[in-house]
Amino acid sequence: MTYLLNRLFSIVLTLFLISIITFVVTNILPGDVATMIMGTQSNPEALAGLRESLGLNDPWIVQYGHWIGGILTGDWGHSLVFKEPIGLLLVQKIKASSLIVVMSMTIALVCAVPLGVWAAVHRDRWQDTVSSGTALLGVSLPDFFWGIMLILLFARGLGWLPSSGFTDPAVDFGAAIAHAFLPSLALGLGLMAHLTRMTRSTMAGILGQEFIRVGRAKGLSERSVVWRYALANAIGPVLTVAGLQVGYLFGSIIVVETLFNYTGMGWLTYQGLLNRDVPLIQSTVFVIAAVVMFANFVVDLLYLLIDPRIRLG
Amino acid sequence: MAGQSNRYVADRDDEPLVAIDGLRVAFDTDEGPVVGVENIGFSIMPGETVCVVGESGSGKSVTSLSIMRLVEFGGGRITSGSIRFVRQSGEVLDVTRADSKKMREIRGNEIGMIFQEPMTSLNPVFTIERQLCDGLKVHKGLSQEAARARALELLKEVHIPEPERRLKQYPHELSGGMRQRVMIAMAMACEPRLLIADEPTTALDVTIQAEILALIDRLKRENGMAVLFITHDMAVVAQMADQVVVMYRGNIVEKGAVEEIFDNPREDYTRALLAAVPKLGAMRGKSAPEPMPILGAEEAPAAPTGAAEKRQLLLEVKHLTTRFPVRGGVFRWTVANVHAVEDVSFTVNVGETLSLVGESGCGKSSCGRSILRLVEAQAGDVMLDGWDVRRLGQTELRRARREMQMVFQDPFASLNPFRRLRDQVAEPLMNFAIATGSELDDRVADLFDRVELPRTFLRRFPHELSGGQRQRVAIARALASGPKLIVADEAVSALDVSVRAQILNLLMKLQAELGLSFLFISHDMAVVERISHQIAVMYLGRIVELGSRAAVFEDPRHPYTKSLLSAVPIADPRQRNIRDDQTFKPVPSPVFPIGYQPDPSLYDEVSPGHHVLREA
Amino acid sequence: MKKFRTSKGLIGIALVGAVLLIAILAPLFIGADLATKMNMAARLRPPSADFLLGTDQLGRSLLYRVMLGARTSLTIAGAAVITSIVLGLPLGIISGYFGGHLDNVLMRLVDTLLSFPALLLALAISAMLGPNFQNTIIAIGIAFTPFLARIVRGEALRVAQMPYVEAARSSGTNDFHMILRHILPNILPAVIVQGTISLAFAILAEAGLSFLGLGTQPPQSSWGLMIQASRDYLDVAPWTALVPGAAVALTVLGLNMFGDVLRDALDPRTK
Repeated sequence: MTYLLNRLFSIVLTLFLISIITFVVTNILPGDVATMIMGTQSNPEALAGLRESLGLNDPWIVQYGHWIGGILTGDWGHSLVFKEPIGLLLVQKIKASSLIVVMSMTIALVCAVPLGVWAAVHRDRWQDTVSSGTALLGVSLPDFFWGIMLILLFARGLGWLPSSGFTDPAVDFGAAIAHAFLPSLALGLGLMAHLTRMTRSTMAGILGQEFIRVGRAKGLSERSVVWRYALANAIGPVLTVAGLQVGYLFGSIIVVETLFNYTGMGWLTYQGLLNRDVPLIQSTVFVIAAVVMFANFVVDLLYLLIDPRIRLG
Repeated sequence: MAGQSNRYVADRDDEPLVAIDGLRVAFDTDEGPVVGVENIGFSIMPGETVCVVGESGSGKSVTSLSIMRLVEFGGGRITSGSIRFVRQSGEVLDVTRADSKKMREIRGNEIGMIFQEPMTSLNPVFTIERQLCDGLKVHKGLSQEAARARALELLKEVHIPEPERRLKQYPHELSGGMRQRVMIAMAMACEPRLLIADEPTTALDVTIQAEILALIDRLKRENGMAVLFITHDMAVVAQMADQVVVMYRGNIVEKGAVEEIFDNPREDYTRALLAAVPKLGAMRGKSAPEPMPILGAEEAPAAPTGAAEKRQLLLEVKHLTTRFPVRGGVFRWTVANVHAVEDVSFTVNVGETLSLVGESGCGKSSCGRSILRLVEAQAGDVMLDGWDVRRLGQTELRRARREMQMVFQDPFASLNPFRRLRDQVAEPLMNFAIATGSELDDRVADLFDRVELPRTFLRRFPHELSGGQRQRVAIARALASGPKLIVADEAVSALDVSVRAQILNLLMKLQAELGLSFLFISHDMAVVERISHQIAVMYLGRIVELGSRAAVFEDPRHPYTKSLLSAVPIADPRQRNIRDDQTFKPVPSPVFPIGYQPDPSLYDEVSPGHHVLREA
Repeated sequence: MKKFRTSKGLIGIALVGAVLLIAILAPLFIGADLATKMNMAARLRPPSADFLLGTDQLGRSLLYRVMLGARTSLTIAGAAVITSIVLGLPLGIISGYFGGHLDNVLMRLVDTLLSFPALLLALAISAMLGPNFQNTIIAIGIAFTPFLARIVRGEALRVAQMPYVEAARSSGTNDFHMILRHILPNILPAVIVQGTISLAFAILAEAGLSFLGLGTQPPQSSWGLMIQASRDYLDVAPWTALVPGAAVALTVLGLNMFGDVLRDALDPRTK
């Protein structure tokens, strides 16, 4: 219980810090928001008026206060590019991104764990070389490159799957999955490679520990020793790493979604960055960081449930 | 198979249970095959205990792992020889040629094994019940119900307190001694004919060790089981063995009945090994610490003089108290305190050694650290040669530190792997600006001479040296600033037996030559008996008995001192003191709530200079 | 040294060495105009005897462009990693060695920064400062600093608890000398390993940033820019994407292999 309270306090503090950092980063621009909205040829007086009304002449603390106040009351401002309330945009795009994040994580985990275990069991032999070598290649290629290859192969070459666009799953589930599949794969391949390596090294470490030898000394079959004794210990660290990779994924979606024209959070963030849409950038960066932080929190909680050493202190 | 007992019914007493002949095991390393053991041959008769004894690298573990063909999982290969094992069915199986299915039938069933590290030998994420039951289900085909009942029975057999509760617990909730009992229960689950114990008590405190040895002995007698006991401790060998096999660098040096080996060792190595073991009680009647006899040494080593002469006071510790905060709660504030050192007082004279002896967690290390102010005490006085150590400011403390230095337990971690040895020994000289330039170099070379290291080692790095050599460098570094007091915190505990004796002799020689005082922190009673003028026995942060070595060893008064001394295995096969393992005392915790004020330590002086803590 | 003789180590060293050589020497031997002069007659040609790796949409030789791009990409990545070390090393050492409240505050900050995906941070900083060569370096460097700071802090903490540090303290060593003589040399192996791995990630990051138009800008050429330019021509000329992509892949692969072997070699447990 105290642990949970401790973490809750930690979360609030971190969110606060995230907002400060976001604010700092998005306000070092030399350019000018008012000029962005009205154009560079505008009347200087009109520009000055707009600046005043947008609160751009206020000290930073005040600007920050306005922003935070807005967030807490649900008013996230208006996007300069899309001319819409940001709150609505965020909700739509988060749904889209969640779909591919979940899909890619699932694909990655389902493939990586058995592969990694297999490589660890046969370490230093051909199975390990093949598996680890492929994984090494996988982490060496940028996500967007995987994306391009997938587009070439499946969309242009074979024509099986669409290479761009997004459909709301509530509207048409099949089409949604079809549109989400290639982006998820592009994200998931790099992730799978990384998780395979992690699983392999974690398992290899566990297989060298004393209690594994004790298990064999009890007469348990090798299969039992690996898939029950060892894996039970490896799942925790592997899931933790996977959870921490959510952060990495949310960075990659910016590139992948843009490549596939998949209108999710990453695509939205990119539009904001490209056009110096400060309110939009502030909101998207803040939300992404907050989501990553929550993901890490969930991972901690999960680890708490899995590892009896932490659960029972 | 279900329900069948493996209990051996002897119809042919002269047939060995295990017969090893010409065994050779090699390991595949990056540099090519390396021989682990060569030409190993000995037998284990049913119901007898065979001790394989040797130092690190002797190959004793490799031998034991080969019997169950576990050595192959670690990269080893049995390249020649045979290991014949008589199974319950009467079948004689050559283990080296058996297939893995047969081996799995034997492991955990007809042969049980326990290992050294109770901390890491149990699966951390499974309950005790599950780990006890899985072997039973595999070999005996028991249902979950039946397996659980048997598991409970086993825990009772190994005398674990509150066995029902333990079943549901996880390994980290148990102490080291309890975990080892669980390990033994797991190994005994299917009533094996042979129990292989690979250094099972090395990582345990002496009193716990005594209990575990007693347990193994009792189980052996009750079940008619044979025991293969691997150890490096000759005293344990004397207590447990019927037959002894001495190994060195992968070969058998000597083997025979335990009395023969101890009375008439034939080989030089065996004799050296026996000589290097400090025997409890050997100092009876002697007035001064005495160096260990080293076989092959040309001259008698220098010995410190006895305590009889009038001595000057060097270190006075009065009512020292050190507590460590336990953090918890939402904001990580202090929720309790560990009372590591509680109201400790003693004195050390110039040129003498006082040993702080006790088991793990008694506070002896914290006491040493508090004196050096590597850790800050909360109360008390530390007077060293006129310095009021606890109240010194930072600059004065630096100066005072010239007078007191420390030698640590782990020879590998006490030296910076990236600095030359010469630089590390020179560091105190540089810090205190004692010497520079060529004078500095000369001094460092002199220090190397004093600790009997060749001058060629000056330019080397730590990883090029052995454990004993590194400890010599650490001693040289401690000597560099010319201290009056050296705190040796388990300085010889991590060394092999023969090396340990050499380092002890070096310390005694330095004491004789330089008039050094030692605060010798250790858990090894026999070593302490050898080297000390004065003894302070610690338990739960307090000194329970303080006096001269003769007084404490020959006339122990406090119950803890007595139980400690009786727990130490005696290195004489004719004096077996394996006691009843029924006496299981849970160790009280030194953690107290904040603000708790313990009673002060009050002592009775039972004879001049011999103080015993008054029990409440 | 033995550890490097494995096939992984040799391939890794070979790849990294080759790319380094190309990055350093290519611009000296290949005139800049060979890679930038447009030749519309030869545009989008597949690999052939004349153009070993084909040409891009402006008729320029992909072989030359990819070799010149090596220098840009490696320089940016290298400078970024050095930036992250310059920023993160002191941070981590102070935090880990001195501990206490300073450590708590600093690590709280670093952990918060770690909630921002590195790529996002780099993109945001680059966009805010205005994307160009230097700002790309700064952006990636700052984005990688928290991770390095954490690793350095962990190592500093580990080393600070070693008996040889305690021994040095009781020998009168002050904090400055302690850090110089004992802490730094013992954390250096971890920093080098992490630096190598970061270099690999930095190349990927630069490629990503340039692909999105927020990294290196034309007329400079980097591999990421080349991939971005190839987007419109994927159907007709996939090699325009594959060539720079393969360049990135091989370089990062080599660095990863080298980093793996380096980590094994410097692991104190295997000493």
